[in-house]
Amino acid sequence: MSQLVVAGGPGFVPPSTSDFDLPSIFGHSAYSTKPVFLVALSVILISVFFIAASRKAAVVPSKLQFSGEAIYGFVRNSIGEEIIGHEFMRFVPFLFTLFTFVITNNVFGIVPFLQFPAMSHVGFPYVLALFSFVIFHYVGIKKQGLGKYLKGIAFMPGVPKAVYILLTPIEIATFFLVRPLTLSLRLFANMFAGHLLLLVFITGGDYMLHDSHIFMKVLSPFSFAFGIGMSFFEFMVQCLQAYIITLLTALFIAGALADEH
Amino acid sequence: MAKKPPAANTGRGRTDGNGINDGSGRFGAGNEEGAAWSIFGYLISGLIIWGGIGLGLDHWLHTHFIALIGLLLGAGSSLYLVWLRFVRR
Amino acid sequence: MHGTLNLVGYGLSAIGPAIATGMIFAAYISGVARQPEARSVLQPIAFLGFALAEALALFGLVLAFVLK
Repeated sequence: MSQLVVAGGPGFVPPSTSDFDLPSIFGHSAYSTKPVFLVALSVILISVFFIAASRKAAVVPSKLQFSGEAIYGFVRNSIGEEIIGHEFMRFVPFLFTLFTFVITNNVFGIVPFLQFPAMSHVGFPYVLALFSFVIFHYVGIKKQGLGKYLKGIAFMPGVPKAVYILLTPIEIATFFLVRPLTLSLRLFANMFAGHLLLLVFITGGDYMLHDSHIFMKVLSPFSFAFGIGMSFFEFMVQCLQAYIITLLTALFIAGALADEH
Repeated sequence: MAKKPPAANTGRGRTDGNGINDGSGRFGAGNEEGAAWSIFGYLISGLIIWGGIGLGLDHWLHTHFIALIGLLLGAGSSLYLVWLRFVRR
Repeated sequence: MHGTLNLVGYGLSAIGPAIATGMIFAAYISGVARQPEARSVLQPIAFLGFALAEALALFGLVLAFVLK
């Protein structure tokens, strides 16, 4: 099989990380690349959809209002209320914005003609994780006071004093480094790998279709079919990752709110 | 908002029958969904911190064994931390 | 092709913890489904088992990068 590939014209160039460095659309600015416009488009789409869904609120909801309320209800009840508890209403706007923003940008990865998940550029998840990081620490400090909050993080009660040398660095690293980092890198890595996977199947199918050998042309539709199948799998992953980043943010907020017992 | 029937016996830090978190979960650790994520975070940061210290000492002293000791120490102490946070009553 | 065999080794070594995590949570879920009041007893055991399996996987990940 590999010998056939070598025999058929110039070698196949596999997709790589350089496929994510898209050229700028206007001039030579780093601020006018495709991901930036996709993020702007997602903000417009989300705003238009939810303004339209909530504008004519009726007792008997229209289809539009029903779908808007279903998404809002999902974030409010099964993420906000379940995880955070009685103070959840304060955080629902943030959680809802986070969820809709991430899910829209993720699903752009498989929408025809857009076909690029902005979250596969690591800068976007970093900013989202920074928001979540600032909010959950702020909430904890405001609720418990700075000293008590930091003491609750760094010193586990009921442990011999010598053990703190081992445990305190781990606790501090977990709360101030690993949590925001894993929050952003999980989203980034899933979107990056998913987009790369689709690129492999689609560009591979394209290459095989234009190959001179008839055997490769026959096999090419299988590659495309697998790419389409993987697109549906990606849709599942994209929704799941949007859910997970919102769920984890809610969990961190709930943890910062929880009192020491 | 009490729609669900009250749960029979919930673990600590779980939401009660009314969907209200009773707040006993420390740092989101008591939530059942949260525990697995928190455990992952603790383990990875234990390995990073103590393994990193060991690697730095290796680099400084031109040896090759302190990194391994640091990694074992990090894994051990983060497992101890997990035991303290999630298992001990 | 460029790369290091360390990562192939890590991929192989991650199979074990993956199966272990799956089995631990499968047993936990079926235990709680059969006897919901046993949840508070089973939960710490399940999470300790998960932590041990996960520690092995992360240990493999770190060693894959550290070992030269």
